[in-house]
Amino acid sequence: MSAIIVAKKDFRDAVRSRVLLALTGLFALFTVGGAFLASRLSALFEEGGAESTIDLILALQTPASFLVPIIALFVGYGAIAGERESGSLQFMLGLPHRRQDVVLGKVLGRTGVVAVSILIGFTVGLLGLFAFVGSVSLVDYVAFTLVTVLFGFVYVCLGVGLSAMTRSTTRAAVGAVGLVVLLWFAWSVLAQALLFVIEGTIIPETIPGWYIVMNSVTPDAAYGSAITAVLGAGQFTASSAYETQGLIDGGVPIVAKPWFGFVLLALWALVPLALGLWRFDRVDL
Amino acid sequence: MPSIDIAGVTKRYGTDTALEGLDLTVERGEIYGFLGPNGAGKSTTINLVLDFIRPTSGEVRVFDLDAQANALAIRKRTGILPEGVEPYDRLTGRQHVAFAIESKGADDDPDDLIERVGLSADAADKKAGGYSKGMTQRLMLATALVGEPDLLILDEPSTGLDPNGARRMREIIREENDRGATVFFSSHVLGQVEAVCDRIGILRDGHLIAEDTIDGLRDAMPDQTRLRVTLDRVPDDSTAALEAVESIDGVSSVTPEGRTLVVACTDRAKTTVLHTIEEYDVTVEDFTTDESSLEDLFVAYTSDATPAEVAQ
Repeated sequence: MSAIIVAKKDFRDAVRSRVLLALTGLFALFTVGGAFLASRLSALFEEGGAESTIDLILALQTPASFLVPIIALFVGYGAIAGERESGSLQFMLGLPHRRQDVVLGKVLGRTGVVAVSILIGFTVGLLGLFAFVGSVSLVDYVAFTLVTVLFGFVYVCLGVGLSAMTRSTTRAAVGAVGLVVLLWFAWSVLAQALLFVIEGTIIPETIPGWYIVMNSVTPDAAYGSAITAVLGAGQFTASSAYETQGLIDGGVPIVAKPWFGFVLLALWALVPLALGLWRFDRVDL
Repeated sequence: MPSIDIAGVTKRYGTDTALEGLDLTVERGEIYGFLGPNGAGKSTTINLVLDFIRPTSGEVRVFDLDAQANALAIRKRTGILPEGVEPYDRLTGRQHVAFAIESKGADDDPDDLIERVGLSADAADKKAGGYSKGMTQRLMLATALVGEPDLLILDEPSTGLDPNGARRMREIIREENDRGATVFFSSHVLGQVEAVCDRIGILRDGHLIAEDTIDGLRDAMPDQTRLRVTLDRVPDDSTAALEAVESIDGVSSVTPEGRTLVVACTDRAKTTVLHTIEEYDVTVEDFTTDESSLEDLFVAYTSDATPAEVAQ
């Protein structure tokens, strides 16, 4: 109950941020642009416009998988550290709230903020789709939106978790940027390097299972897997390109299965959050 | 049952010792003034009571409950005005008070509290990010009063308040105390506590060096006096002159005010002070002494006296 009170207050406070407004605007621009591009591309290749909402969602997934983490990390990284720096945490914790309640309330409140941002972006994207394409499967679109909100929640947990582990917003910000660099760039380079070291080439004839696993465990890959699971279509997982060509050694590993995306998302949300809670509960403010 | 009971508490940050074996008891229903210069460990003590930080050793109990294990139960009955607290920039003053009321499960009217601390209704509707220091203090006091707490903990409550605000603060402290609340408040300025406090504790370098009523403290240093010496001119080597006077046994503070030196010292040091000044080729045109102000007492305690002397 205490966490809900904190979440409500935090939502009211954080949703008024101007930078958030700008990021949401940018996001809306990308979704509408993605919708436009998708409709034009499919119009070029297939007479009569996009065949299915799935294709269009593919076009929207790309901006979402870049901008949702940025928005969520931006909204999350200062949640605890920022209040420790400014001293407003002493006001919050001077009231009868446990430290866990504050962290959980922050996660809920800021997830709400990110959800609003996503809903605005996707509503604009939806209008774009209606304008450019004409018809869209609302069920698929809503499912896609919900998985994206879950994805945003994961990055909020990462951001707030980081924020709870340090007393400086600078360090939390460095952590957030480091996380993005690791997950978006370093991880795939590392996978490629390992592939080269183990297989002797970066284009082996069959793809080893561990490489598929490695490419499936990042939150972004897990997001793709989860979309695939929800939509029942295969093109969003990390392994789909190899899978359709039957190139994977010993079949698709369980970690790369679409439904496992939800397990991975849960781990990416809960592990950093648990670490943040554990640390924050023990420190001197 | 004391409201606050601190027993043998030491708090270290790495190799720095903020508090060393502190024993302090605040009795139920009293107004306790917690005095000390900046950096003496006042906020550390308060943060320990509020479980914002944890002791290296020793025990902190509030309402006879362990401060760490029962932090939530304690905070439900406590109103807190932390030092240097920042409000939430994007929320209005009224939203802050409403949040405190909701958090405490109280049924106060936000407008009553806002009016009581002297914040205007207009200001309460504005975002707290634009508040002055004094408005922030009033707002935070309003949130501290939510739910008629049994214990009020105020850390440097007069910071940023104008004389009217400081008077309102004292009135509220008295009203709350009359209602039955225990008040524990810290300050580095003795003048703010002498008017309202039942008892005063003086903290210096992490030690409680004195604890008594105001009269008791006065009696402990009966010969303290304030000497105002007016010279014909400022000495050529004024720094050396100041240092020489400061180093005299029995002098606790020296403040130059143009050609006048204000010296807080013991009665028997007066002659030495005058002689020392004249060694710097200046003439004493006039000098007066007045009864020691509590401020001088406080300075004497915190700058000159050793714990052993004060304890007598």
